Amino acid sequence: MFFIQIIFLVKAVDFSKHYEKLLVARAHKTYLERKANYCSHILKMNEMTAYKGTFDNLSGNAAKKPDILKIVKEDVLRILCERRKKTSLEIIKDEIKVAHPLISEALEELERDDLIAIQENCILLTGLGQESAKNILKKHFVLEDYFEKTGSKIEAHTAAHILEHYVSGEVINNIKKLSTLKIEGVPLTKFELNKEGMITDITFSDYGLFERIVSMGIFLGEKIIITNEIPRGIVVKTKNKKFALDKNIAEEIKVVEYERS
Amino acid sequence: MKDLKILLIGQPNVGKSSLLNALVGPRVTVSNYPGTTVEITKAKKSFDKIEIEFVDTPGIYSISDRSEEEKVTERALFEEEADGVIAIADATSLERSLYMALQILEAKIPTVLALNFVEDAEKKGIRINCEKLKGILHIPVVPINPLTKKGIDKLVDTVAKLKKISKRAFTIEYDDHIESAIDKTSSQMKETSMPSRFLAIRILEGDEDFFKFLKDKRIIAEVRGNLEEHPKVAEDIAITRYGTASFIAEKATKIIPLEKEKKLQEEMDRVLLHKISGPLTTSLFLLAIFGILLYLGNLIQGVFTDLTESLLSSLTTAEHSIITIVLVNGLTGIAMGVSIALPYVFLFYLLLGLLEDIGLLSRFTVNAEIFLKKLGLPGKSFIPLALGLGCTAPATRATRVLSSEKEQIHTASLFAFVPCSSRIAIIMGIVGFYGGIRLALSVLAASFAAGLIWAFGIKKVIEIQSEPLLLELPPYRKPLIKNVFAKSWIRMRDFVYIVIPLLALGGIAYGILDMSGLTHIIVEPFSPITTWLGLPTVTIIPIIFGFLQKDLTGAMFLSVLGSEIPLVLTPLQIYTFGVATTIGIPCIIALGMLIKEFGFKRAIILTITSIVYGLLFAGLAWRTISLV
Repeated sequence: MFFIQIIFLVKAVDFSKHYEKLLVARAHKTYLERKANYCSHILKMNEMTAYKGTFDNLSGNAAKKPDILKIVKEDVLRILCERRKKTSLEIIKDEIKVAHPLISEALEELERDDLIAIQENCILLTGLGQESAKNILKKHFVLEDYFEKTGSKIEAHTAAHILEHYVSGEVINNIKKLSTLKIEGVPLTKFELNKEGMITDITFSDYGLFERIVSMGIFLGEKIIITNEIPRGIVVKTKNKKFALDKNIAEEIKVVEYERS
Repeated sequence: MKDLKILLIGQPNVGKSSLLNALVGPRVTVSNYPGTTVEITKAKKSFDKIEIEFVDTPGIYSISDRSEEEKVTERALFEEEADGVIAIADATSLERSLYMALQILEAKIPTVLALNFVEDAEKKGIRINCEKLKGILHIPVVPINPLTKKGIDKLVDTVAKLKKISKRAFTIEYDDHIESAIDKTSSQMKETSMPSRFLAIRILEGDEDFFKFLKDKRIIAEVRGNLEEHPKVAEDIAITRYGTASFIAEKATKIIPLEKEKKLQEEMDRVLLHKISGPLTTSLFLLAIFGILLYLGNLIQGVFTDLTESLLSSLTTAEHSIITIVLVNGLTGIAMGVSIALPYVFLFYLLLGLLEDIGLLSRFTVNAEIFLKKLGLPGKSFIPLALGLGCTAPATRATRVLSSEKEQIHTASLFAFVPCSSRIAIIMGIVGFYGGIRLALSVLAASFAAGLIWAFGIKKVIEIQSEPLLLELPPYRKPLIKNVFAKSWIRMRDFVYIVIPLLALGGIAYGILDMSGLTHIIVEPFSPITTWLGLPTVTIIPIIFGFLQKDLTGAMFLSVLGSEIPLVLTPLQIYTFGVATTIGIPCIIALGMLIKEFGFKRAIILTITSIVYGLLFAGLAWRTISLV
């Protein structure tokens, strides 16, 4: 279910510093679709007022210019890295459909930060730029891989393109692990005591129990720690709250070990 | 003067009762909805220009209809015709509180968010920006602290100004497929006062109570059929709601990394939730409470008895007219009641309330769970069973916390073996006094053993599907003494209003029968019981009449046998008497409470079976012992 994955991802991103914009995409596949439109929309028009409705409602102050600039900069680096050679400004302008002054500004900043070198009308990556670009590409591949492996090929590329700008290295490490695991995690009952885990799935067949668990604050993507083992179950801590869980309940909560960068 | 009715809604342990206390003081009335067993409390208070009635609802995590508590809160939300809601939020876990607040907003009910535990959150490095929260939700947000009364005046002011809900108040937008399903469902809704969007969402979540609002129920199947993208639409709704709640929470929260976290809480849990030390400390605590109770109770009871005796002695010298009998026996009953109520019942409930508010009781529940589960009982039955050590009547009422009627009756049946304060008085005052403390303890042991056999027997015969353990363990907190007192009073109200009057009536009934000389005729047919128990025939009087008024058992025992007990009875006979009067639903008052909770037939069957079982057990016990 793509839907759940987005939520999971969004919650996972929660641990990084770069989650803010991504949260806009939370909860819905359609949000993500809209987000895609929304990003290109903003990039094209370079205007904050271009979108209304939900995003307004959710995120009040919307995307600030530096956010867009950051995205453009990262896109420039990515394109340069993908092409592996000198690239003309025209090609870049062609690929990134965004107002030209914004691209110029991005290039200026990149050059100032010593990530690219501009020679005549061509641009190439510096050593530092290579490294930075590889990181972005890695994010993209990990994300795409994750979405593909979890069964949503169509959106995988689009989703990866958007999320790559928002996800920290720390989160990428954890997502990478998920794609290589190819499973939804281990039951909480089989998880180690006092180890930091991350909830990947809640698999009750009964909606009542599912909603009870969620409304208590045990949610996908949250960090969770087993603090005590009790005779018929476990005591867990998540989001500042402690719960005693029966073995049968803990069994249906799936986790992976949370990895810090 | 304008009148307002305001509901208080929040999670368990979010500080609802402390808030009610801070708003109106401990004066509350308790009421039930017909057909439900969980209580809501109401309290009125006049403020500057306004009289507000606050309705406190049971603590729940979400507005739904799956547990009794949730059903009651949902009904209160829609049937009380309240002018608004105070949604109490926990600053240490804001998103969870917002989950429910968003549900209330979906119902378009004017809401004030009262943010509790702000200081606790700051200690954890969580700072909540109320202005930002207000800006997103478009409802008033008031930080409160019921303990210091901070923010309470502002909360009252805000509530007094509460009007219709703002059109801009936050609404969750679900994904396009779900939104169109909501639109389609709400277009098929009958005319009601409730917003059709809210009804549609509840229907999509599968709440059958709301199906009646549809013009045509077939629409549900149709809408669900169209939702290919969401085979589990209810789950997706819950996920979106929680996702949105946590989004808002994160927007309004600033996390400040702390240098060092407080470790005391963790250390306490390391001991209290340990596989071995947990149950051990739980047992030690319970024993200590028992000890404190017996010691202090004895002390206070002594003072009371002296007081009432001097009062009554002036009356008993008068001639034996019917009036003096009514007066003396009635007053004795009340005196007995008071001298038990205050020291044992109230003190016990005070200690229990203290444990609850500190956060220890939930840990004890976890530790008792494994033992109770073996008896076929859920962990939650720990609280009613513990209350049973005070008085069976309020304990019977407390079985309401259990989720199924089977569990409730099974737990109530064990009150036959949990000695209430009156039975403890017999064990200590008669068996202990005349037979020694070891004999008294062996009566307790016999009662415990009989209870185990009973519980295992029931578990074998009846299949009880008990809910799996899913319990929040609140952080340890300093208790608010006023709150503990208020709670203890609510718990022992049954004792004061029902038990004490009945104690007086029981005393009067016995007095009249005794004067008319009918006592012996009445008890005559029951003499086979004493034969079976190997006791002198006259002891049937305290056994039978003890059922009318348990606390008179001791006095009657002495009056029929004289005070030279060791000359008349062997230690084994004292023991048998103790066991026979301990096991079983103790008295007519407990029976009355059982009838109220479970109906006449079941209550009678339970009471008679338990008493017969107790007598059989006592008889078998002395026979076995004398054989050995």
